[in-house]
Amino acid sequence: MEPVIRGTDLTKVYGNLTALGEATFAVEAGEVRGLVGSNGAGKSTLVKILTGAVTPTLGTVEITGHAAPLGDPRGMILRGVACIYQHSNLAPSMSVLDNIFLGRQPTRGLGLVDTSRMRAEARALLERHQIDLDLDATVSALPTVKQKEVEILKALALDARVIIMDEPTGWLSSVEVAKLHETVRALKKRGVAVIYISHVLDEIFAVCDTVTIMRDGRIISESPVKDVNRSQVVHLMVGEKLARESERAAHEKRHPRGTGEIRLKADKLTKHGVFEDVSFELYAGEILCITGLIGSKRTEMVRTLFGSDRFDAGTLEVDGQAVTFSSPTQAISKGVGFVPEDRHREGLMLDMTMTENLAMATLHRFRRGVILSRRSMVESGRRAIENLSIRPPDGTRPVKLLSGGNQQKVLVGKWMSRTPRIFILDEPTVGVDVGAKAEIYAILRRERDRGAAILVVSSDLEEVATIADRIGVMVAGRLTAMHDGDSAPMDEIVAEIGGAD
Amino acid sequence: MRIPRATLALLFFFAGTAVFFSVSAPRFATATNVENLMSGFSFVAILAMGQAFPILVRGIDLSIGAIVAVVGMVVFDLTLIFHVPGYLILPMALLTGILAGAVNGMLVVFLRLQPFIATLATLAAYRGLVYSISGRQLVEGLTTTAITDRWIVGIETYYDIGGWTGISQFMQMPWFPLSFFLMLGVFVVLQTVLLATRFGRDLRAVGGNHEAARLAGINTGGIVISAYATSGLCAAIAALIMVARFTTSTEALGTGMELTAIAAAVIGGVSFAGGIGSMFGPVVGAFLLGIVLLGLTLQGVEQFVQQIITGAILLAAVSYDRILVVRRRRRLAADLVAAS
Amino acid sequence: MATRSLTRTDDLFRRLAPHALPIAIVVMIVGFSIAQPAFLTPDNLIGIVRQVALIGIMATCMTFVIMTGGVDLSVGPVLALAGLVSFYCLQADLPLVVVVLGGLSAGVLVGLFNGAIVAFLGLPPIIATLGTLSIVRGTALIVGGPEQHLIRDEPAYTFIGAGNLFGLPFSIYIFAAVAVVMIFVQRRTPLGLLVAAVGDNERAAYLSGHRIRVTKLTVYAISGFGAALAGIIQSSQVHTALATYGPFGTELDVIAAVVVGGTSIMGGNGSVVRTLLGVFFLGVVNTGMNILNVPIDVQLMAKGAIIVVALAFSARLA
Repeated sequence: MEPVIRGTDLTKVYGNLTALGEATFAVEAGEVRGLVGSNGAGKSTLVKILTGAVTPTLGTVEITGHAAPLGDPRGMILRGVACIYQHSNLAPSMSVLDNIFLGRQPTRGLGLVDTSRMRAEARALLERHQIDLDLDATVSALPTVKQKEVEILKALALDARVIIMDEPTGWLSSVEVAKLHETVRALKKRGVAVIYISHVLDEIFAVCDTVTIMRDGRIISESPVKDVNRSQVVHLMVGEKLARESERAAHEKRHPRGTGEIRLKADKLTKHGVFEDVSFELYAGEILCITGLIGSKRTEMVRTLFGSDRFDAGTLEVDGQAVTFSSPTQAISKGVGFVPEDRHREGLMLDMTMTENLAMATLHRFRRGVILSRRSMVESGRRAIENLSIRPPDGTRPVKLLSGGNQQKVLVGKWMSRTPRIFILDEPTVGVDVGAKAEIYAILRRERDRGAAILVVSSDLEEVATIADRIGVMVAGRLTAMHDGDSAPMDEIVAEIGGAD
Repeated sequence: MRIPRATLALLFFFAGTAVFFSVSAPRFATATNVENLMSGFSFVAILAMGQAFPILVRGIDLSIGAIVAVVGMVVFDLTLIFHVPGYLILPMALLTGILAGAVNGMLVVFLRLQPFIATLATLAAYRGLVYSISGRQLVEGLTTTAITDRWIVGIETYYDIGGWTGISQFMQMPWFPLSFFLMLGVFVVLQTVLLATRFGRDLRAVGGNHEAARLAGINTGGIVISAYATSGLCAAIAALIMVARFTTSTEALGTGMELTAIAAAVIGGVSFAGGIGSMFGPVVGAFLLGIVLLGLTLQGVEQFVQQIITGAILLAAVSYDRILVVRRRRRLAADLVAAS
Repeated sequence: MATRSLTRTDDLFRRLAPHALPIAIVVMIVGFSIAQPAFLTPDNLIGIVRQVALIGIMATCMTFVIMTGGVDLSVGPVLALAGLVSFYCLQADLPLVVVVLGGLSAGVLVGLFNGAIVAFLGLPPIIATLGTLSIVRGTALIVGGPEQHLIRDEPAYTFIGAGNLFGLPFSIYIFAAVAVVMIFVQRRTPLGLLVAAVGDNERAAYLSGHRIRVTKLTVYAISGFGAALAGIIQSSQVHTALATYGPFGTELDVIAAVVVGGTSIMGGNGSVVRTLLGVFFLGVVNTGMNILNVPIDVQLMAKGAIIVVALAFSARLA
């Protein structure tokens, strides 16, 4: 049987960086192929070549045996290749309906759009896949979860031969993930080939038939899912050393309530219409993880702890003193550090160097009168790069050239230079490869052991299980439960997250 | 069809301003004044609609005034030096505008220049081109020769709609200039294209999220070039209207009009964020500027103060739009939470 | 292999790139001097510097605004207004210091106003300064009317723009001083780094605890200062204050100089030194074309072509 999609010797070189090297890859109709690998392993590059977003330096792509045009998104779409991209790929000011048919709204003469036909087709799709969307809503007004559903529907509407899903569950709740997996199985039954990319190995094992593992731009192995186990996959993805380290880390001792000193106390924090009655204490020398579904308003809540947003009622105490932060500047002066969720949009200056980014929160330290001492900045940057094992260790490199994991380390490093007494991190390892993840966990543990009070917002239960000294659960804007890390029953937590009492 | 709040606010403001001047300025609410408004600002509305297209794709056209001058001079030369018949000149003029605009688009797409820079460069280059091809410099005596071709001069015609329909018996009606109907025609065509065709959808997609549009298979380069070509086309139409009015053209034609066009478009709600706006806003924006300027003139307000007020209106309109956006976002956020 | 030879040319481009502008300036000077030996005389070269001083001061001061991703279209009218304010101060027999400070304050105040609407109202800078352009021009016309105001018997004031010090026009010293200060601020002060940070990622800069609004107010005030200084020098040079000085096109010439120098109009990393290179490059080209009696139409088209080439070149390297 001719595979539905085949890539041969695909190579992509950027300057002197080989993002993808001689990848040969084929998927059959009705096969669900998992694709795993750390950041920088080459998965995105492979996907971009298959969808025509990027032209390969070498190599060919065939669809059902016929050569396909390279670097031509329209060509690939016409040949039945659809993709659910990781990052938002919708036109924000347009309606859901227009986005589903983006670039190919049905027309009737003179290029006029046939709205009624479009609407009927869309309704049929919504029915078929059991998705609930308001077709006339403006996409930018929708919450991220709904936007993701529009993305999914957009790909499904193409009635493609091959559907590529790039980290499709990043924003979905476990209920929605299950629904997506059902959709994948339905597609499989219809003979569609699915390429499923995910960092969450559980999902790969749940829904894929075969799995391809990539590392450093090459395809390392390909095998049926039933022939490999989890730790084999991780080892292949990451190499021996880091795999062992992360396993060890998962068995570390926990320190609920740390040193017993309360650094931050939230009492009945409320923001009307967003979150309500959130009360908890954060101790020095502990890592408190607050988990929950997307939409549980954890980010909104921690923003008020940092001053980038304000709460309407309740009190906040830092070191026993009541405070109200009306700007990050104030929170920072009280010793709060904050690593935001979206490092590209809110964290880093991509065109500036590592040294400059690392110094961004501590510029005042390098001030000598009116002058900014670049030399001390460089020195401080060098030390941070060393402490955090940021690669490549070149402070003059612009941050945009770093991998996701190293970028995140720069962001963390920036705040660590202030040795925050209260360190808040929002989804600190999203889009970060396994190796860098382990390193970031090690960094957080070091800070905790040095006495910092650390608050981590995380949707990654694996992560929570690995590092939390205490676990809090937020559901729809309320903090519903608090557990000690070493005695936390994971399935109970999962149930709480879903809203069960 | 849902009418966006911003458009309602704009219309409200327009009506309010009209009422204000009707009351406070002598001879404002007269047929003559309305006629002046239409003949004086229809071409501004056309320029504003043209300018909206590049802004919709996250760009800008600083050269629109220069394109007006180029087209004006082309018309001047063709009729007075080469004696080309008017019915051929009209399409040639439009073509010139389209080409000039397309060049802008190509600089943005193929050379990947920032639109501000690309159209800044063509602003200079086209102004230079006007001097190069200027019949006024090349041939003696043309500076005092009026254009007489029926097809061109005919654009400056007024229609006694009131007389035809008999309405004049009941109230004083202005004579409608052809330029006003041209403006309406342009409005109908461009609005339909923008709202009802796939091209229009693609345009808004490119402006809203360029990468998403590209990945969806849209020919983003072609769309961007078309947007600038449309701007050039509108500049050409405006040039024809002006040349017809003055029966001549000068090298300085259109100077500064790019700023007025931008102002009118922005007042009309076309957003620099891209993908947001329609043709309705720029038209209302242009006429809003018109009634303010005419009203102030009739009130005897010094021309210099008018400048200040125009600037203040621009700032006020955009600030108000911002307030609406912020309020809208807050309302949506609250709605979302209530629904979840 | 095809791929490899491309990389070598790209490498060559990359290595030459930072020096492209100085090389181009030298090439231009050599070229013009060959075509017209009178070009290379000290008189002419000094003349070039004197001529670009005005645009140069404004461009140097606008660099920070552009680095924050903004733009200041109001510099032309501010130039005129400053000249008028100084004129009236002179009329009132105020001491020279007050006269100069008065003119400069006019510019700084407009700059602060611009900064305020951009920082506090969040208006896009192009619209905000487009609005103030009209407002300031109208104000200048109201204050000074459309007539020319002659500045007579004011040797101290006249010296600013038209005087000579050790054989060089005084205005060149002012230009040099402004340039040195701005370079210093950009390279050696926190503001210089902050400005690039705000242009690169304003939200991240805010979340890092920096006062974004203060930064923006400062950069627009600096731009206003530069325009006002240019206005004082110009009115001093031509002994006239006129409300229509700094006509439409002035701001575009200033922006062109900054942009040709290599600072991106989108904001982020930039350099005052490169702005100076851009200023001199355009100055050399303008003067050269004038000396060679190149007709104005060709000059304008050449200006357009230069902007395109200079920026296409730097786009290639990005």
